[in-house]
Amino acid sequence: MNLEFGRLALVFLFAIIPAVGIALGINSPGLRARIPLLVAFFAGAIPIISLYVPKKFLSGPTGMSPRLDQWLIIVYAFAILLGVVNVVQNSTRKIARRESGWPFSIVLLLGLFATGGAGIYGAISHHGITSLPDGTATPFKWIQDQFFQPLQSTIFALLAFFMASAAFRAFRARNAEATILLFAGGLVMAGRVPLLEFLAVPFPPLQPAAAGASQALGKLTEWIMDTPNGAAQSGIIIGAALGAASMAIRVILGIERGYLGLGRGE
Amino acid sequence: MRTGVLSRASARVPSFAAPLTASLLVLLFRSALAVAPEVSPAAPGDLPAPTSFTAGDRPGDSGNAKPGAERYVDTTAKDGTVYRYEIRTVSAADTSSAVPAAGGTSAASGTVAAALPAGPPLVSDPVASHDNWFRTEKTNSFIASVLFLVILLASIGAAKSGKKIFIRRIAGLNAVDEAIGRATEIGKKVLYVPGSQSMDEIQTIASIAILGHVARATARYGTDLDVPNKDPLTFASAREAVRGAYLAEGRPDLYREEMVNYVTYDQFAFTAAVSARMIRERPAAIFLVGYFFAESLILAETGQSTGAIQIAGQADPTQLPFFIATCDYTLIGEELYAASAYLSREPALLGSMRAQDIAKAIVILLGITGIIAASLGATWFAGLFKTQ
Amino acid sequence: MAGMLDKLLSLDRRWIFLLVLLCVGTPIVLPIGLPVTTTGSTRAAFDYIESLKPGDYVWVSFDYGPSSAPENDPMAEAFLRQCFAKKIRVIVCAFYPLGSLGLATNSLAKVTAEYPNLRYGEDYVNLGYKDGAAAVMRRLGEDIAEGFPADVNGTPLAQLPIMKGLRSIRQVQLVCSVATGVIGEYWITQVHSQIGTPIIIGPTAVAAPKYYAYLNAGQLVGMLGGMKGAAEYEKLLAARYPDMARFYQSTRGFTATKGMDGQTVIHAVIILFILLGNVAYISRRAAQKKGA
Repeated sequence: MNLEFGRLALVFLFAIIPAVGIALGINSPGLRARIPLLVAFFAGAIPIISLYVPKKFLSGPTGMSPRLDQWLIIVYAFAILLGVVNVVQNSTRKIARRESGWPFSIVLLLGLFATGGAGIYGAISHHGITSLPDGTATPFKWIQDQFFQPLQSTIFALLAFFMASAAFRAFRARNAEATILLFAGGLVMAGRVPLLEFLAVPFPPLQPAAAGASQALGKLTEWIMDTPNGAAQSGIIIGAALGAASMAIRVILGIERGYLGLGRGE
Repeated sequence: MRTGVLSRASARVPSFAAPLTASLLVLLFRSALAVAPEVSPAAPGDLPAPTSFTAGDRPGDSGNAKPGAERYVDTTAKDGTVYRYEIRTVSAADTSSAVPAAGGTSAASGTVAAALPAGPPLVSDPVASHDNWFRTEKTNSFIASVLFLVILLASIGAAKSGKKIFIRRIAGLNAVDEAIGRATEIGKKVLYVPGSQSMDEIQTIASIAILGHVARATARYGTDLDVPNKDPLTFASAREAVRGAYLAEGRPDLYREEMVNYVTYDQFAFTAAVSARMIRERPAAIFLVGYFFAESLILAETGQSTGAIQIAGQADPTQLPFFIATCDYTLIGEELYAASAYLSREPALLGSMRAQDIAKAIVILLGITGIIAASLGATWFAGLFKTQ
Repeated sequence: MAGMLDKLLSLDRRWIFLLVLLCVGTPIVLPIGLPVTTTGSTRAAFDYIESLKPGDYVWVSFDYGPSSAPENDPMAEAFLRQCFAKKIRVIVCAFYPLGSLGLATNSLAKVTAEYPNLRYGEDYVNLGYKDGAAAVMRRLGEDIAEGFPADVNGTPLAQLPIMKGLRSIRQVQLVCSVATGVIGEYWITQVHSQIGTPIIIGPTAVAAPKYYAYLNAGQLVGMLGGMKGAAEYEKLLAARYPDMARFYQSTRGFTATKGMDGQTVIHAVIILFILLGNVAYISRRAAQKKGA
């Protein structure tokens, strides 16, 4: 067994300390509540330190930071299991109680077990989930191609309808700022497509003029996107990044603990 | 075909060998000069003999550097051991013979190791690798991080000592109680969607903190709460936050496990399920707070069609226009991160808000200085911020 | 008049949906063939790939799913066509689960069929999907095999001739991320900022505004904004390569240039809706003021 320092440190920080804490905290809820804060501190501090300290045990290929990334994937797999169990529980309860929409729950469970089963079959048969040795699609890929992809595309395509209805209802010149937004939005929408050429299709003599105007509109659109939009985006990104950094430090230091269900910070 | 080969020439017994080996990087500078070095005649063939190369420790690689196109990394080098490296032109015509190893060490270079030497060696200066404690190329980033941490802790300290900190009014957060109150009045549920990302996304953590406040309010008023989740880790965290909130308000009797539920990992299947839930159950208040992608408009527009009061929040600017167009209130950018401080009025959280503003002022100041420096042709100023 | 305006303002959204369906569907059945003008960010992307030499490496990342395929597929395919025409070696991967399983596999099969001399494992390779985009990208800077130990078929990288001598993404001349969501941003923050590899982004139109900030900051070589960007790229390819001009004119498959017809019509309709909505809104406000 490879007893590297980084590996031992991770086991100590994320297995032994929590286990001892839970054991000691059986009769002490206060202590029990502090263990997750300790775990959060180390889980946040290690990647940050590894960014600046190039020690092998921290950021090397098998160092603490890459190992934490791998652990996250493992934790994730278990969390998905938790999610699947919750879906099965909720759906079976709905079916048993004949709650509104219970037939959909049957479809959901069928889909869950059919797709999951096809994936597990791919793993057991060593064929994987893409194609069989004869080049044909595996059952998993077939479900994905025939059901999943078209359904996903369909829901995404609804955006076109919702966008049109939202634009009609909400894009109003209510005040000066909204009017500026309205004009800028209209210009960009017109400038991103050959709108003038399209409008000139029934009038051939106007087409050269439409092409020229479309070019100018395109340049104006590019300027709007590049300059005012680029500046505003930079501002929001920088502001949000500082907010995220502050939030991250609060979480690491245990000041922000709402995500643990521990209520207010101290 | 002619190519170069590198071999480790000699080794001195180390006085100290660190257990953690940093890699040794040897940069091979291919000379463009046709003139051969004085120490050797020109190599025959189409590739001139090497004229110079340098060997050195590559700082900040954690000992895991790999060879590149024009550099050789000796991953077997021991820290503290002094080596010399030699480079020579070889012919690949005879691939059966190996390069003779000078000084008793073996040659190292995958594809060209079994080639015939055709030119005299060029030997490097003595060089030793050593373990590093700091990535010097990230000094600027480190200074910025430490500075921000100091400002943050100082601001929190000042806030805790009773200094009054002003936070401007955030309409979206003032409306939280109003929305839950309305749901209570008409006896319908509150729907809270904590985005579609996992707990490694800081916006999700902020959203879960806000969920805690919303859950406290629904516990106080006895209003039903529904929290559908796309991400399993977020689901687990949201469940803890809601359970904790109901316990904190002394209403564990009102808490039900199915309040926080898992739907699916797929973005659009989740969108379809939550939209259907909105239409079937017609919640009175809908919170869309966290990191959303293309599902934002579908969810918000469906919610709008049900007549629910909608509060949205996202730090990423991409989906903000959709929320602004379809929701009653929207938390824009860093307002999302400010929410927890704003709602709780905790001094520690308020202090961090002040730190954010100070940091922002510094960034603006640096930006203006950068504009002036660039306009005056002082490119060194921009160079201070390079991280590579 | 006032009654009509009120009716317009409270128009059932299903009428709008029906009109949208007709306006998007008609140009697909009856193409108009509208012209496309190119923009600076797309030209910059095109010129950068043009400046690469045969044998260089370009990394194409399929960071999108079937939902945005009509926007993103033409971009990915255009990048692949240009690289293969220039004999640039292409490494394909995906950080979006369905990006590899369906889209990358299908796009590669489609484009490589147009270049029969290409050999898998020598001229191009598909590394498949990997979870944990940001973490994997950080590892690619040190060793590609740490992020992707094998290709999509399970062949170890060491056995693929294309990967011989290619250890780190530092050695790759360019990364093209065809992306929806946040993964495109990860390429900028985790790869370009840390390692310096040049990046071209092909985002969906809705994500494009955000990337202008990165474009202005010099963190992107170029950008193809949505279907418009893809159509511009197709036009640039057709102008530079006669074979591709013939292909784009004759293909029965979907191209971004064809998609622009539908997009133009729907933009016109949405602008019309906005105008109508505002006319009704302003008229009603004026009437209310008068009444008061």
